[in-house]
Amino acid sequence: MNATLMIVRPIAAADLGALFQLASKAGVGLTTLPANEALLKQRIDASLASFAGTAEPADQIFVFVMEEAETVSEHGRERKKNKIVGICAIAAAVGLRQPWYSYRVGQVVHASQELGIFTQTPTLFLSNDHTGHSELCSLFLDSEYRVGKNGSMLSKCRFLFIAQFRALFAKKMIAELRGVSDAEGKSPFWESLGRHFFSMDFKDADYLTGIGKKSFVAELMPKHPLYSSFLTPAAQAVIGQTHELTRPAQAMLEAEGFRYEGHVDIFDAGPAVECDVGDIDAVVKSRLFTADVGPEAGSDAGSTAKSEQPKINYLVASTSLDHFRVLLVRASPSGELLRLSAVQAAALGIKSGDSIRGVPLSPKDRVAS
Amino acid sequence: MSDLPAIERIAAVSAVGITSLPPDHEKLYDKIRSSVHSFSTEVDVNGEEIYFFVLENTATGAIIGTSGIAASAGFHDRFYSYRNEIIVHASQELKVSNKIHALHLCHDLTGLSLLTSFYIDPAYAHSKWPQLLSRARLLFMAEFPQRFADKLAAENPGLCDENGNSPFWNAVGRRFFSMEYPQAEQLSGGRSKTFIAELMPQYPIYVPLLPADAQLAIGQLHPVADLPFSILLDEGFEADTYIDIFDGGPTVEARLQTLRTIQTNRRLCVKISKDDASNRTALDYLVASTSTDTFRATIAQAVIDGDALVMTPGAASVMQLTDGDSVRAAPLGTYTSLGATSNVSPSSGASSSANAGWNS
Repeated sequence: MNATLMIVRPIAAADLGALFQLASKAGVGLTTLPANEALLKQRIDASLASFAGTAEPADQIFVFVMEEAETVSEHGRERKKNKIVGICAIAAAVGLRQPWYSYRVGQVVHASQELGIFTQTPTLFLSNDHTGHSELCSLFLDSEYRVGKNGSMLSKCRFLFIAQFRALFAKKMIAELRGVSDAEGKSPFWESLGRHFFSMDFKDADYLTGIGKKSFVAELMPKHPLYSSFLTPAAQAVIGQTHELTRPAQAMLEAEGFRYEGHVDIFDAGPAVECDVGDIDAVVKSRLFTADVGPEAGSDAGSTAKSEQPKINYLVASTSLDHFRVLLVRASPSGELLRLSAVQAAALGIKSGDSIRGVPLSPKDRVAS
Repeated sequence: MSDLPAIERIAAVSAVGITSLPPDHEKLYDKIRSSVHSFSTEVDVNGEEIYFFVLENTATGAIIGTSGIAASAGFHDRFYSYRNEIIVHASQELKVSNKIHALHLCHDLTGLSLLTSFYIDPAYAHSKWPQLLSRARLLFMAEFPQRFADKLAAENPGLCDENGNSPFWNAVGRRFFSMEYPQAEQLSGGRSKTFIAELMPQYPIYVPLLPADAQLAIGQLHPVADLPFSILLDEGFEADTYIDIFDGGPTVEARLQTLRTIQTNRRLCVKISKDDASNRTALDYLVASTSTDTFRATIAQAVIDGDALVMTPGAASVMQLTDGDSVRAAPLGTYTSLGATSNVSPSSGASSSANAGWNS
């Protein structure tokens, strides 16, 4: 019998090859996962240093991979086959090495009572407002694995890490959502604005962003406030709009408490959503449990014996920094105890009685702790 | 005030873009009154004075043109223009250098003296008289420098169609006002332009973001103003830096001392002599008297002899000059076409009817 288990763990040096393969599938729009081996190696090294506690806060980035751990039975022997299928990361503080730019969407009112004039004009102000904030970034899941709860698990596993290690992060968390572009990667906003200042295609600018040159590109962009009414109607229409394919991610973040507060990407005008770390639903409602490792736990079958509450999807994580692991399990914790199977406990690297952090995957299953 | 009806006729036919000549009886009345007052007042420092001149055909007594000076642009307030700027967006790292044209709303020209209100009857356009009408102002400034700033500017009408629609206005001003250009022009005529300017975009405008027709209109002159504009360029005015905030027309500027008429004019004593002034070496001179409220200027054939300007009795009488009077004279320069005879005088108040005739 073949058994598979999805697990999220910190990226390791040995993941470089697999990560490069994954990045090659990501394409335009995921600026933080460029298919560039040297840069991916840098990213891995930065993550290793961050977990090891040797990186400066300004450089800290915690990168996680989702791994499919398959146990294959062949000729009576069990063999483990592991595959990297997704990636996500949290940057501790953006904009402290290179300036972090976004446009703040505002408005100016020009009014004269005497002339009977009152006009509201939308504006874009180049800002560094998000400097020092933490950022959810680099989310990518192999398209073959975009089934079930994988996407949700990959994105939300970060909230358990943040809840467990709050001191590593800023008060405010942001996430940039991909803006509107067509099938060829053409962004109406870029065509109307960026192109005038920088004669290159959006996907090239996007790539430069990914390889850490966004601030160089930004320095070529207009520094003075812009009247958005000078842009084409198509460009005006996509300011603060999310790419169709990114809307589920936006809905997920919004369900956790993230909100668009009027900052957009300087290239494609995609919205940045933000939330105080202390207000992120999954962070606030996650809590520590004591692992109760026993037979048949973690599956729906286990609940039939007792008249417990029905089992729900729980994200559970180990609580050690250097051996952080996240799993999605079916559970109905009672009191301080959360039941796990031996396989699950082994995957988390914990034993019965150890402390684990858990939160229901879906906000609607959560209660205030 | 005796010139008012003629000036009203001129205001009625002058193009959109000459905001200093509003077709409004009350405003023109006020303008003439304050001009009369300015000419008759002692001035140490340039302020709110305006000086309004008319071109009169002394053969017929008809007023055929106007010109003016505002001693201090935006006096009591600010004078707004857009300044053409180049912003270089460069990155060594990316080996890119882009020059971006932007318009900055500025007050740079505040306090400069402004040449305004130029209008000449089209029948006289192809004569030397537009030269007189425009440049007589400079002789006046040469004689009374304390009344003016040492730098000058002049607004020129920008592109618009026959209905007064301006592509620059449609792309810029219109977004902030909800009105047509002629309407906005009228509001600003005669009253502080500042009032309107405060409703205009305060942040720089990146030119590449404007529609093509608006970009083309930046610094483009309305053909109707070719004549006064070319006179100013010949004088040495520069047209590259500033444009009008409404229609994008070029606003020229110059340091008074660098202008051709200022550099070539001399202060001379009048010597009336029929023979000398009509001899073969006589040249056309712009000649201006040196009083304020009886200021007159004309174009006369004359000869410079030492510190004397030798004029015919006819020319001297048009100018109400007698032997020994001081005048300022500058060579007219070369012109191909000739028209009727005229002279320039301050637009007159009710009590001042002294307009001497001059016959060619």
